[in-house]
Amino acid sequence: MYAIEVENLVKKYGDFEAVKGISFKVKRGEIFAFLGPNGAGKTTTVHVLTTLLKLTSGKAIVAGHDVVKEPMEVRKRIGIVFQDPSLDRELTAYENMYIHGRIYGLGGNELKNKIEELLKFVELWEFRNKPVKYFSGGMQRRLEIARALLHEPEVLFLDEPTIGLDPQTRAHIWEYIKSMKEEHNMTIFLTTHYMDEAEQLADRIAIMDHGKIIAEGTAEELKKLVGNDVIYLKLEAPEDLKCLKAEFIRGCKLLSDGRVRLEVVNAAEALPKIFDLAKERNVKIVEVTYHRPTLNDVFLYLTGREIRDEEETNTLASMIRMRMRR
Amino acid sequence: MRALTTMAYRQIKRFTRARSRVVGMIVNPLIWLVFFGLGWSKVFDNPMARAIFGGVDYLTFLAPGIFAMTIFNQSFIGGVSVIWDKQFGFLKEVLVAPASRKEGILGRILGDSLVTLTQGTIILLLTFLLAENLKISGILPALGVGFLLAVAFSGFGVSLALKMESMEGFQMVMMVLMLPLIFLSGAMYPIDTMPSWMRALAYINPLTYAVDGARHFLVGENVTKFALTTDVGVLALLALFLVGVAMIEFEKATIG
Repeated sequence: MYAIEVENLVKKYGDFEAVKGISFKVKRGEIFAFLGPNGAGKTTTVHVLTTLLKLTSGKAIVAGHDVVKEPMEVRKRIGIVFQDPSLDRELTAYENMYIHGRIYGLGGNELKNKIEELLKFVELWEFRNKPVKYFSGGMQRRLEIARALLHEPEVLFLDEPTIGLDPQTRAHIWEYIKSMKEEHNMTIFLTTHYMDEAEQLADRIAIMDHGKIIAEGTAEELKKLVGNDVIYLKLEAPEDLKCLKAEFIRGCKLLSDGRVRLEVVNAAEALPKIFDLAKERNVKIVEVTYHRPTLNDVFLYLTGREIRDEEETNTLASMIRMRMRR
Repeated sequence: MRALTTMAYRQIKRFTRARSRVVGMIVNPLIWLVFFGLGWSKVFDNPMARAIFGGVDYLTFLAPGIFAMTIFNQSFIGGVSVIWDKQFGFLKEVLVAPASRKEGILGRILGDSLVTLTQGTIILLLTFLLAENLKISGILPALGVGFLLAVAFSGFGVSLALKMESMEGFQMVMMVLMLPLIFLSGAMYPIDTMPSWMRALAYINPLTYAVDGARHFLVGENVTKFALTTDVGVLALLALFLVGVAMIEFEKATIG
Protein backbone atom coordinates (compact mmCIF):
# COMPACT_ATOMS: atom_id res chain seq x y z
CA MET A 1 0.00 0.00 0.00
CA TYR A 2 1.32 3.42 -0.92
CA ALA A 3 0.77 6.63 1.03
CA ILE A 4 1.81 8.83 -1.90
CA GLU A 5 1.75 7.99 -5.59
CA VAL A 6 2.90 10.56 -8.09
CA GLU A 7 2.90 10.10 -11.84
CA ASN A 8 4.43 12.50 -14.29
CA LEU A 9 3.74 15.54 -12.16
CA VAL A 10 4.33 18.85 -13.95
CA LYS A 11 3.95 22.29 -12.41
CA LYS A 12 4.47 25.41 -14.48
CA TYR A 13 4.45 29.04 -13.41
CA GLY A 14 3.72 30.76 -16.69
CA ASP A 15 6.57 29.70 -18.94
CA PHE A 16 8.75 28.47 -16.13
CA GLU A 17 8.56 24.76 -15.45
CA ALA A 18 9.28 24.31 -11.73
CA VAL A 19 8.56 20.57 -11.68
CA LYS A 20 9.27 18.73 -14.91
CA GLY A 21 7.34 15.51 -14.85
CA ILE A 22 8.36 13.55 -11.74
CA SER A 23 7.10 10.13 -10.67
CA PHE A 24 7.62 8.37 -7.35
CA LYS A 25 5.88 6.29 -4.73
CA VAL A 26 6.09 6.44 -0.96
CA LYS A 27 5.18 3.39 1.08
CA ARG A 28 3.06 3.61 4.20
CA GLY A 29 5.11 4.03 7.36
CA GLU A 30 8.16 5.16 5.46
CA ILE A 31 10.23 8.32 5.77
CA PHE A 32 10.85 9.55 2.25
CA ALA A 33 13.14 12.49 1.60
CA PHE A 34 13.48 14.88 -1.29
CA LEU A 35 17.09 16.00 -1.29
CA GLY A 36 18.24 18.81 -3.52
CA PRO A 37 19.50 22.37 -3.66
CA ASN A 38 17.27 25.40 -3.22
CA GLY A 39 15.11 26.00 -6.26
CA ALA A 40 15.08 22.33 -7.27
CA GLY A 41 11.26 22.22 -7.06
CA LYS A 42 10.94 20.48 -3.70
CA THR A 43 8.65 22.99 -2.04
CA THR A 44 6.52 23.33 -5.17
CA THR A 45 6.02 19.56 -5.11
CA VAL A 46 5.00 19.71 -1.44
CA HIS A 47 2.51 22.47 -2.15
CA VAL A 48 0.96 20.46 -4.96
CA LEU A 49 0.75 17.33 -2.80
CA THR A 50 -0.85 19.29 0.03
CA THR A 51 -3.50 20.77 -2.32
CA LEU A 52 -2.22 24.34 -1.99
CA LEU A 53 -1.14 24.60 -5.62
CA LYS A 54 -2.86 23.19 -8.67
CA LEU A 55 -0.73 20.88 -10.76
CA THR A 56 -0.33 21.63 -14.46
CA SER A 57 -0.48 18.01 -15.55
CA GLY A 58 0.06 14.52 -14.20
CA LYS A 59 -1.46 12.72 -11.29
CA ALA A 60 -0.94 12.72 -7.53
CA ILE A 61 -2.63 10.46 -4.98
CA VAL A 62 -2.04 11.25 -1.30
CA ALA A 63 -3.43 9.04 1.49
CA GLY A 64 -5.62 7.28 -1.07
CA HIS A 65 -7.20 10.39 -2.59
CA ASP A 66 -6.54 12.43 -5.70
CA VAL A 67 -5.22 15.90 -4.80
CA VAL A 68 -7.10 17.52 -7.67
CA LYS A 69 -10.43 15.70 -7.47
CA GLU A 70 -10.74 15.29 -3.72
CA PRO A 71 -8.67 18.00 -2.06
CA MET A 72 -10.86 18.01 1.07
CA GLU A 73 -10.31 14.28 1.64
CA VAL A 74 -6.57 14.77 1.24
CA ARG A 75 -6.54 17.74 3.63
CA LYS A 76 -8.24 15.70 6.35
CA ARG A 77 -5.51 13.08 6.21
CA ILE A 78 -2.35 15.15 6.05
CA GLY A 79 -0.34 17.34 8.36
CA ILE A 80 2.23 19.82 7.22
CA VAL A 81 5.09 21.84 8.62
CA PHE A 82 5.81 24.58 6.11
CA GLN A 83 9.28 25.82 5.29
CA ASP A 84 8.36 29.33 6.44
CA PRO A 85 6.67 29.99 9.77
CA SER A 86 2.89 29.67 9.75
CA LEU A 87 1.94 30.33 13.38
CA ASP A 88 -0.22 33.13 14.70
CA ARG A 89 2.48 35.13 16.44
CA GLU A 90 0.09 37.16 18.57
CA LEU A 91 -1.47 34.09 20.13
CA THR A 92 0.02 31.71 22.69
CA ALA A 93 1.29 28.23 21.95
CA TYR A 94 -1.81 26.76 23.54
CA GLU A 95 -4.16 28.97 21.53
CA ASN A 96 -2.40 28.08 18.30
CA MET A 97 -2.90 24.42 19.10
CA TYR A 98 -6.50 24.98 20.20
CA ILE A 99 -7.48 26.84 17.03
CA HIS A 100 -5.86 24.20 14.84
CA GLY A 101 -7.69 21.44 16.69
CA ARG A 102 -11.03 23.19 16.38
CA ILE A 103 -10.61 23.81 12.66
CA TYR A 104 -9.78 20.12 12.20
CA GLY A 105 -12.96 19.13 14.00
CA LEU A 106 -11.59 18.22 17.44
CA GLY A 107 -13.02 19.52 20.67
CA GLY A 108 -13.73 19.00 24.33
CA ASN A 109 -11.53 16.93 26.60
CA GLU A 110 -10.16 14.93 23.70
CA LEU A 111 -8.63 18.09 22.28
CA LYS A 112 -7.36 19.29 25.67
CA ASN A 113 -5.64 15.99 26.39
CA LYS A 114 -4.14 15.83 22.94
CA ILE A 115 -2.75 19.36 23.21
CA GLU A 116 -1.18 18.57 26.57
CA GLU A 117 0.32 15.32 25.30
CA LEU A 118 1.83 16.94 22.23
CA LEU A 119 3.10 20.09 23.91
CA LYS A 120 4.83 17.81 26.41
CA PHE A 121 6.19 15.71 23.55
CA VAL A 122 7.91 18.74 22.02
CA GLU A 123 8.81 20.09 25.49
CA LEU A 124 6.81 23.29 25.24
CA TRP A 125 4.19 22.57 27.88
CA GLU A 126 5.68 25.02 30.36
CA PHE A 127 5.64 27.78 27.73
CA ARG A 128 2.08 27.12 26.65
CA ASN A 129 0.75 30.51 27.75
CA LYS A 130 3.45 32.57 26.12
CA PRO A 131 2.71 34.41 22.85
CA VAL A 132 4.53 32.74 20.01
CA LYS A 133 6.31 35.94 18.98
CA TYR A 134 8.59 35.51 22.01
CA PHE A 135 9.60 31.98 20.92
CA SER A 136 12.98 31.16 19.41
CA GLY A 137 13.13 29.68 15.92
CA GLY A 138 13.59 26.19 17.32
CA MET A 139 10.65 26.53 19.70
CA GLN A 140 8.42 27.75 16.87
CA ARG A 141 9.44 24.78 14.76
CA ARG A 142 8.67 22.37 17.59
CA LEU A 143 5.28 23.98 18.08
CA GLU A 144 4.56 23.64 14.37
CA ILE A 145 5.46 19.96 14.52
CA ALA A 146 3.18 19.44 17.51
CA ARG A 147 0.41 21.31 15.74
CA ALA A 148 0.78 19.22 12.58
CA LEU A 149 0.39 16.06 14.67
CA LEU A 150 -2.70 17.21 16.54
CA HIS A 151 -5.25 15.68 14.17
CA GLU A 152 -3.25 12.44 13.80
CA PRO A 153 -2.51 12.71 10.07
CA GLU A 154 -1.77 9.65 7.97
CA VAL A 155 0.89 11.47 6.03
CA LEU A 156 3.07 14.20 7.48
CA PHE A 157 4.85 16.69 5.22
CA LEU A 158 7.94 18.40 6.58
CA ASP A 159 9.32 21.07 4.27
CA GLU A 160 12.91 21.81 5.30
CA PRO A 161 12.12 21.11 8.96
CA THR A 162 15.46 22.27 10.34
CA ILE A 163 16.39 25.10 8.00
CA GLY A 164 18.05 27.96 9.83
CA LEU A 165 18.33 26.11 13.13
CA ASP A 166 21.50 25.50 15.13
CA PRO A 167 23.01 21.99 15.11
CA GLN A 168 21.80 21.13 18.61
CA THR A 169 18.21 22.06 17.85
CA ARG A 170 18.40 20.18 14.57
CA ALA A 171 19.48 17.00 16.31
CA HIS A 172 16.64 17.52 18.77
CA ILE A 173 14.07 17.80 16.00
CA TRP A 174 15.47 14.71 14.31
CA GLU A 175 14.77 12.81 17.51
CA TYR A 176 11.12 13.90 17.42
CA ILE A 177 10.79 12.87 13.79
CA LYS A 178 12.29 9.44 14.45
CA SER A 179 10.07 8.80 17.44
CA MET A 180 7.00 9.89 15.47
CA LYS A 181 7.74 7.26 12.91
CA GLU A 182 8.41 4.61 15.51
CA GLU A 183 5.50 5.32 17.81
CA HIS A 184 2.79 6.16 15.29
CA ASN A 185 4.02 4.36 12.20
CA MET A 186 3.41 7.58 10.34
CA THR A 187 4.37 8.18 6.72
CA ILE A 188 6.67 11.18 6.55
CA PHE A 189 7.53 13.11 3.42
CA LEU A 190 10.52 15.33 4.04
CA THR A 191 12.33 17.85 1.90
CA THR A 192 15.80 19.02 2.77
CA HIS A 193 18.97 20.38 1.32
CA TYR A 194 21.00 18.95 4.21
CA MET A 195 22.62 15.66 3.26
CA ASP A 196 23.09 14.59 6.85
CA GLU A 197 19.41 15.13 7.49
CA ALA A 198 18.31 12.95 4.60
CA GLU A 199 20.81 10.30 5.62
CA GLN A 200 19.88 10.35 9.30
CA LEU A 201 16.14 10.22 8.82
CA ALA A 202 15.07 8.85 5.48
CA ASP A 203 14.37 5.25 4.56
CA ARG A 204 14.52 6.29 0.94
CA ILE A 205 15.81 9.40 -0.77
CA ALA A 206 15.00 11.01 -4.09
CA ILE A 207 17.62 13.44 -5.30
CA MET A 208 16.03 16.36 -7.06
CA ASP A 209 17.65 18.94 -9.30
CA HIS A 210 16.15 21.49 -11.70
CA GLY A 211 12.65 20.06 -11.34
CA LYS A 212 13.61 16.45 -11.96
CA ILE A 213 14.33 13.41 -9.84
CA ILE A 214 17.81 12.37 -10.90
CA ALA A 215 18.24 9.39 -8.59
CA GLU A 216 16.23 7.46 -6.04
CA GLY A 217 16.98 4.80 -3.46
CA THR A 218 18.25 4.22 0.05
CA ALA A 219 21.29 6.20 1.11
CA GLU A 220 23.41 3.06 0.66
CA GLU A 221 22.07 2.41 -2.82
CA LEU A 222 22.70 5.99 -3.86
CA LYS A 223 26.25 5.92 -2.59
CA LYS A 224 26.92 2.81 -4.60
CA LEU A 225 26.30 4.89 -7.70
CA VAL A 226 29.54 6.66 -6.97
CA GLY A 227 31.59 3.61 -6.18
CA ASN A 228 33.03 1.57 -3.37
CA ASP A 229 34.18 2.47 0.10
CA VAL A 230 37.91 2.98 0.35
CA ILE A 231 40.11 1.62 3.14
CA TYR A 232 43.71 2.64 3.76
CA LEU A 233 45.94 0.31 5.78
CA LYS A 234 49.38 1.04 7.19
CA LEU A 235 51.37 -2.01 8.16
CA GLU A 236 54.04 -2.32 10.84
CA ALA A 237 56.58 -3.97 8.59
CA PRO A 238 56.78 -2.48 5.09
CA GLU A 239 58.26 -5.72 3.77
CA ASP A 240 54.86 -7.35 4.38
CA LEU A 241 53.41 -5.01 1.83
CA LYS A 242 51.41 -6.88 -0.70
CA CYS A 243 47.85 -7.06 -1.83
CA LEU A 244 45.36 -8.92 0.28
CA LYS A 245 43.22 -11.22 -1.76
CA ALA A 246 39.65 -12.06 -0.81
CA GLU A 247 36.30 -12.14 -2.60
CA PHE A 248 35.00 -9.07 -0.80
CA ILE A 249 37.92 -6.91 -1.89
CA ARG A 250 37.06 -5.18 -5.14
CA GLY A 251 40.33 -3.50 -5.77
CA CYS A 252 43.76 -3.20 -4.23
CA LYS A 253 46.63 -0.84 -4.77
CA LEU A 254 50.00 -0.35 -3.11
CA LEU A 255 50.65 3.30 -2.49
CA SER A 256 54.00 5.03 -2.77
CA ASP A 257 53.81 6.19 0.84
CA GLY A 258 53.79 2.56 1.98
CA ARG A 259 50.08 2.14 2.51
CA VAL A 260 47.59 -0.26 0.96
CA ARG A 261 44.44 1.12 -0.62
CA LEU A 262 41.52 -1.33 -0.68
CA GLU A 263 38.17 -0.87 -2.35
CA VAL A 264 35.26 -2.66 -0.75
CA VAL A 265 31.48 -2.46 -1.06
CA ASN A 266 30.89 -1.79 2.59
CA ALA A 267 33.80 -0.75 4.77
CA ALA A 268 31.93 -1.35 8.00
CA GLU A 269 31.45 -5.02 7.14
CA ALA A 270 34.83 -5.49 5.49
CA LEU A 271 37.01 -4.15 8.27
CA PRO A 272 36.57 -7.04 10.74
CA LYS A 273 37.26 -9.50 7.94
CA ILE A 274 40.44 -7.66 7.04
CA PHE A 275 41.60 -7.83 10.64
CA ASP A 276 40.94 -11.58 10.65
CA LEU A 277 42.90 -12.01 7.41
CA ALA A 278 45.80 -10.00 8.78
CA LYS A 279 45.87 -12.10 11.92
CA GLU A 280 45.86 -15.34 9.91
CA ARG A 281 48.85 -14.17 7.92
CA ASN A 282 50.60 -12.62 10.87
CA VAL A 283 50.58 -9.12 9.44
CA LYS A 284 50.35 -6.30 11.95
CA ILE A 285 48.20 -3.30 11.05
CA VAL A 286 49.18 -0.06 12.77
CA GLU A 287 46.76 2.37 11.21
CA VAL A 288 43.38 2.20 9.46
CA THR A 289 41.47 5.00 7.78
CA TYR A 290 38.50 4.67 5.54
CA HIS A 291 36.38 6.94 3.43
CA ARG A 292 32.78 6.36 2.50
CA PRO A 293 31.18 8.25 -0.35
CA THR A 294 28.73 10.84 0.98
CA LEU A 295 25.47 11.93 -0.59
CA ASN A 296 27.34 15.05 -1.59
CA ASP A 297 29.66 12.82 -3.64
CA VAL A 298 26.54 11.33 -5.21
CA PHE A 299 25.15 14.73 -6.11
CA LEU A 300 28.54 15.82 -7.40
CA TYR A 301 28.77 12.64 -9.47
CA LEU A 302 25.28 13.12 -10.94
CA THR A 303 25.29 16.86 -11.61
CA GLY A 304 28.91 17.93 -11.49
CA ARG A 305 28.00 20.43 -8.75
CA GLU A 306 28.06 20.45 -4.97
CA ILE A 307 24.65 20.32 -3.38
CA ARG A 308 24.95 23.12 -0.90
CA ASP A 309 27.63 25.47 -1.95
CA GLU A 310 25.72 27.38 -4.58
CA GLU A 311 23.94 29.64 -2.11
CA GLU A 312 26.95 29.87 0.17
CA THR A 313 29.30 31.03 -2.54
CA ASN A 314 26.62 33.40 -3.71
CA THR A 315 26.26 35.06 -0.33
CA LEU A 316 30.01 35.16 0.05
CA ALA A 317 30.34 36.78 -3.34
CA SER A 318 27.70 39.35 -2.56
CA MET A 319 29.33 40.08 0.79
CA ILE A 320 32.60 40.71 -0.95
CA ARG A 321 30.86 42.91 -3.45
CA MET A 322 29.25 44.91 -0.67
CA ARG A 323 32.56 45.37 1.08
CA MET A 324 34.14 46.59 -2.10
CA ARG A 325 31.43 49.15 -2.67
CA ARG A 326 32.23 50.89 0.61
CA MET B 1 -20.06 26.11 12.02
CA ARG B 2 -16.73 24.97 13.46
CA ALA B 3 -14.60 27.04 11.14
CA LEU B 4 -16.83 30.06 11.59
CA THR B 5 -16.76 30.15 15.38
CA THR B 6 -13.07 29.28 15.53
CA MET B 7 -12.01 32.06 13.21
CA ALA B 8 -14.26 34.57 14.99
CA TYR B 9 -12.70 33.44 18.28
CA ARG B 10 -9.25 33.96 16.84
CA GLN B 11 -9.94 37.54 15.74
CA ILE B 12 -11.35 38.45 19.13
CA LYS B 13 -8.41 36.79 20.92
CA ARG B 14 -5.95 38.72 18.78
CA PHE B 15 -7.74 41.94 19.63
CA THR B 16 -7.50 41.33 23.37
CA ARG B 17 -3.73 40.76 22.96
CA ALA B 18 -3.15 44.07 21.22
CA ARG B 19 -4.52 46.48 23.77
CA SER B 20 -1.95 49.16 23.06
CA ARG B 21 -3.17 49.25 19.48
CA VAL B 22 -6.71 49.78 20.70
CA VAL B 23 -5.70 53.06 22.30
CA GLY B 24 -4.14 54.21 19.04
CA MET B 25 -7.30 53.37 17.15
CA ILE B 26 -9.46 55.48 19.43
CA VAL B 27 -7.15 58.49 19.43
CA ASN B 28 -7.74 59.31 15.77
CA PRO B 29 -11.53 59.73 15.89
CA LEU B 30 -11.17 61.58 19.17
CA ILE B 31 -8.90 64.12 17.50
CA TRP B 32 -11.59 64.71 14.90
CA LEU B 33 -14.30 64.98 17.48
CA VAL B 34 -12.46 67.31 19.84
CA PHE B 35 -10.20 69.47 17.68
CA PHE B 36 -12.45 69.56 14.64
CA GLY B 37 -15.86 69.25 16.25
CA LEU B 38 -15.34 71.37 19.33
CA GLY B 39 -13.44 73.92 17.28
CA TRP B 40 -16.26 74.46 14.77
CA SER B 41 -19.03 74.13 17.31
CA LYS B 42 -18.43 77.69 18.52
CA VAL B 43 -18.43 79.04 14.94
CA PHE B 44 -21.73 77.31 14.25
CA ASP B 45 -23.30 78.34 17.54
CA ASN B 46 -25.96 80.60 15.94
CA PRO B 47 -29.57 80.09 14.74
CA MET B 48 -28.67 80.22 11.04
CA ALA B 49 -26.06 77.49 11.32
CA ARG B 50 -28.37 75.41 13.48
CA ALA B 51 -30.97 75.58 10.72
CA ILE B 52 -28.43 74.15 8.28
CA PHE B 53 -27.56 71.32 10.66
CA GLY B 54 -31.19 70.31 11.15
CA GLY B 55 -31.75 72.40 14.26
CA VAL B 56 -29.12 70.75 16.47
CA ASP B 57 -25.71 71.89 17.69
CA TYR B 58 -22.72 71.02 15.54
CA LEU B 59 -21.24 68.35 17.83
CA THR B 60 -24.53 66.49 17.90
CA PHE B 61 -24.65 66.70 14.12
CA LEU B 62 -21.05 65.48 13.83
CA ALA B 63 -21.13 62.67 16.43
CA PRO B 64 -22.90 59.99 14.31
CA GLY B 65 -20.47 60.81 11.51
CA ILE B 66 -17.45 60.24 13.73
CA PHE B 67 -18.98 56.97 14.90
CA ALA B 68 -19.49 55.78 11.32
CA MET B 69 -16.00 56.94 10.39
CA THR B 70 -14.47 54.91 13.22
CA ILE B 71 -16.34 51.78 12.19
CA PHE B 72 -15.42 52.31 8.56
CA ASN B 73 -11.70 52.83 9.29
CA GLN B 74 -11.32 49.97 11.70
CA SER B 75 -13.30 47.39 9.79
CA PHE B 76 -11.39 48.17 6.61
CA ILE B 77 -8.07 47.86 8.42
CA GLY B 78 -9.29 44.66 10.07
CA GLY B 79 -10.20 43.08 6.74
CA VAL B 80 -6.95 44.09 5.18
CA SER B 81 -5.07 42.46 8.06
CA VAL B 82 -5.44 39.24 6.04
CA ILE B 83 -2.28 40.52 4.40
CA TRP B 84 -0.39 40.03 7.68
CA ASP B 85 -1.60 36.45 7.75
CA LYS B 86 -0.15 36.15 4.27
CA GLN B 87 3.17 37.61 5.36
CA PHE B 88 3.47 35.76 8.67
CA GLY B 89 2.28 32.54 7.07
CA PHE B 90 -0.86 31.84 9.08
CA LEU B 91 -2.90 32.00 5.86
CA LYS B 92 -1.27 28.76 4.68
CA GLU B 93 -2.39 27.04 7.87
CA VAL B 94 -5.96 28.11 7.13
CA LEU B 95 -5.83 27.22 3.43
CA VAL B 96 -4.55 23.70 4.03
CA ALA B 97 -7.20 22.92 6.64
CA PRO B 98 -10.06 20.55 5.81
CA ALA B 99 -12.68 23.13 6.73
CA SER B 100 -15.03 25.24 4.67
CA ARG B 101 -13.12 28.29 3.55
CA LYS B 102 -16.32 30.25 3.02
CA GLU B 103 -17.29 29.62 6.61
CA GLY B 104 -13.82 30.42 7.87
CA ILE B 105 -13.62 33.78 6.17
CA LEU B 106 -17.17 34.62 7.23
CA GLY B 107 -16.15 33.86 10.80
CA ARG B 108 -13.17 36.09 10.44
CA ILE B 109 -15.31 38.94 9.09
CA LEU B 110 -17.87 38.54 11.87
CA GLY B 111 -15.15 38.40 14.53
CA ASP B 112 -13.51 41.51 13.13
CA SER B 113 -16.87 43.26 12.97
CA LEU B 114 -17.53 42.55 16.64
CA VAL B 115 -14.10 43.91 17.51
CA THR B 116 -14.77 47.01 15.42
CA LEU B 117 -18.13 47.45 17.07
CA THR B 118 -16.46 47.43 20.49
CA GLN B 119 -14.26 50.28 19.37
CA GLY B 120 -17.26 52.08 17.90
CA THR B 121 -19.10 51.72 21.21
CA ILE B 122 -16.21 53.30 23.09
CA ILE B 123 -16.19 56.25 20.70
CA LEU B 124 -19.95 56.56 20.90
CA LEU B 125 -19.88 56.70 24.69
CA LEU B 126 -17.14 59.32 24.59
CA THR B 127 -19.14 61.50 22.21
CA PHE B 128 -21.96 61.53 24.70
CA LEU B 129 -19.65 63.47 27.02
CA LEU B 130 -19.30 66.25 24.44
CA ALA B 131 -22.48 66.39 22.40
CA GLU B 132 -25.53 67.44 24.39
CA ASN B 133 -28.49 66.34 22.33
CA LEU B 134 -27.78 62.68 21.50
CA LYS B 135 -30.40 60.07 22.38
CA ILE B 136 -29.21 57.36 24.73
CA SER B 137 -32.00 55.10 23.43
CA GLY B 138 -30.39 55.36 20.00
CA ILE B 139 -27.13 53.64 20.98
CA LEU B 140 -28.19 50.04 20.41
CA PRO B 141 -29.91 50.52 17.03
CA ALA B 142 -27.02 52.75 15.92
CA LEU B 143 -24.67 49.88 16.75
CA GLY B 144 -26.83 47.74 14.47
CA VAL B 145 -26.19 50.16 11.62
CA GLY B 146 -22.51 50.16 12.56
CA PHE B 147 -22.46 46.36 12.38
CA LEU B 148 -23.75 46.33 8.80
CA LEU B 149 -21.11 48.88 7.84
CA ALA B 150 -18.41 46.88 9.63
CA VAL B 151 -19.34 43.63 7.90
CA ALA B 152 -19.38 45.34 4.50
CA PHE B 153 -15.97 46.92 4.83
CA SER B 154 -14.33 43.93 6.53
CA GLY B 155 -15.44 41.96 3.50
CA PHE B 156 -14.08 44.59 1.15
CA GLY B 157 -10.78 44.68 3.04
CA VAL B 158 -10.43 40.89 2.84
CA SER B 159 -10.97 40.83 -0.94
CA LEU B 160 -8.51 43.67 -1.39
CA ALA B 161 -5.86 42.01 0.82
CA LEU B 162 -6.10 38.76 -1.13
CA LYS B 163 -5.16 40.68 -4.27
CA MET B 164 -2.29 42.60 -2.71
CA GLU B 165 1.30 41.59 -2.15
CA SER B 166 2.40 44.10 0.46
CA MET B 167 1.18 46.56 3.02
CA GLU B 168 2.62 49.49 1.05
CA GLY B 169 -0.04 49.15 -1.63
CA PHE B 170 -2.66 49.26 1.07
CA GLN B 171 -1.32 52.53 2.50
CA MET B 172 -1.85 54.02 -0.94
CA VAL B 173 -5.44 52.80 -1.13
CA MET B 174 -6.09 54.17 2.36
CA MET B 175 -4.68 57.58 1.46
CA VAL B 176 -6.66 57.83 -1.75
CA LEU B 177 -9.97 56.47 -0.44
CA MET B 178 -10.34 57.32 3.20
CA LEU B 179 -10.58 61.11 3.35
CA PRO B 180 -12.77 61.64 0.26
CA LEU B 181 -15.19 58.96 1.46
CA ILE B 182 -15.45 60.68 4.82
CA PHE B 183 -15.82 64.21 3.39
CA LEU B 184 -18.43 62.99 0.91
CA SER B 185 -20.52 61.13 3.48
CA GLY B 186 -22.42 64.01 5.01
CA ALA B 187 -20.62 63.37 8.28
CA MET B 188 -19.27 66.91 8.56
CA TYR B 189 -21.75 68.99 6.55
CA PRO B 190 -25.15 68.17 5.06
CA ILE B 191 -25.24 66.61 1.64
CA ASP B 192 -27.83 69.16 0.46
CA THR B 193 -25.41 72.08 0.79
CA MET B 194 -22.84 70.39 -1.48
CA PRO B 195 -22.39 71.38 -5.15
CA SER B 196 -24.40 69.02 -7.32
CA TRP B 197 -21.41 67.01 -8.62
CA MET B 198 -20.24 66.39 -5.04
CA ARG B 199 -23.76 65.44 -4.06
CA ALA B 200 -23.82 62.85 -6.84
CA LEU B 201 -20.66 61.31 -5.39
CA ALA B 202 -22.17 61.38 -1.91
CA TYR B 203 -25.15 59.39 -3.16
CA ILE B 204 -22.93 56.53 -4.33
CA ASN B 205 -20.80 56.62 -1.19
CA PRO B 206 -21.86 53.77 1.13
CA LEU B 207 -20.64 55.70 4.14
CA THR B 208 -23.38 58.29 3.48
CA TYR B 209 -26.06 55.75 4.34
CA ALA B 210 -24.29 54.63 7.50
CA VAL B 211 -23.95 58.21 8.72
CA ASP B 212 -27.57 58.91 7.86
CA GLY B 213 -28.77 55.68 9.47
CA ALA B 214 -26.85 56.36 12.67
CA ARG B 215 -28.34 59.90 12.76
CA HIS B 216 -31.83 58.48 12.59
CA PHE B 217 -31.34 56.80 15.90
CA LEU B 218 -28.89 59.07 17.68
CA VAL B 219 -30.26 62.50 16.68
CA GLY B 220 -33.68 62.23 15.06
CA GLU B 221 -35.66 62.26 11.84
CA ASN B 222 -35.35 66.00 11.22
CA VAL B 223 -31.58 65.79 10.58
CA THR B 224 -31.63 62.85 8.20
CA LYS B 225 -31.64 62.81 4.44
CA PHE B 226 -33.04 59.39 3.52
CA ALA B 227 -35.71 57.10 4.91
CA LEU B 228 -34.41 54.63 7.49
CA THR B 229 -35.39 51.71 5.27
CA THR B 230 -33.24 53.15 2.47
CA ASP B 231 -30.22 53.48 4.77
CA VAL B 232 -30.53 50.01 6.25
CA GLY B 233 -31.47 48.45 2.90
CA VAL B 234 -28.47 49.90 1.08
CA LEU B 235 -26.07 48.86 3.86
CA ALA B 236 -27.50 45.36 4.14
CA LEU B 237 -27.31 44.75 0.39
CA LEU B 238 -23.79 46.11 0.27
CA ALA B 239 -22.73 43.93 3.20
CA LEU B 240 -24.20 40.84 1.55
CA PHE B 241 -22.54 41.63 -1.74
CA LEU B 242 -19.07 42.40 -0.33
CA VAL B 243 -19.09 39.40 2.00
CA GLY B 244 -20.16 37.23 -0.92
CA VAL B 245 -17.25 38.50 -3.00
CA ALA B 246 -14.84 37.90 -0.11
CA MET B 247 -16.10 34.33 0.31
CA ILE B 248 -15.68 33.56 -3.38
CA GLU B 249 -12.23 35.15 -3.50
CA PHE B 250 -11.13 33.23 -0.43
CA GLU B 251 -12.39 29.96 -1.86
CA LYS B 252 -10.12 30.50 -4.86
CA ALA B 253 -7.10 31.66 -2.85
CA THR B 254 -3.84 29.80 -3.36
CA ILE B 255 -0.35 30.52 -2.15
CA GLY B 256 2.63 31.87 -4.02
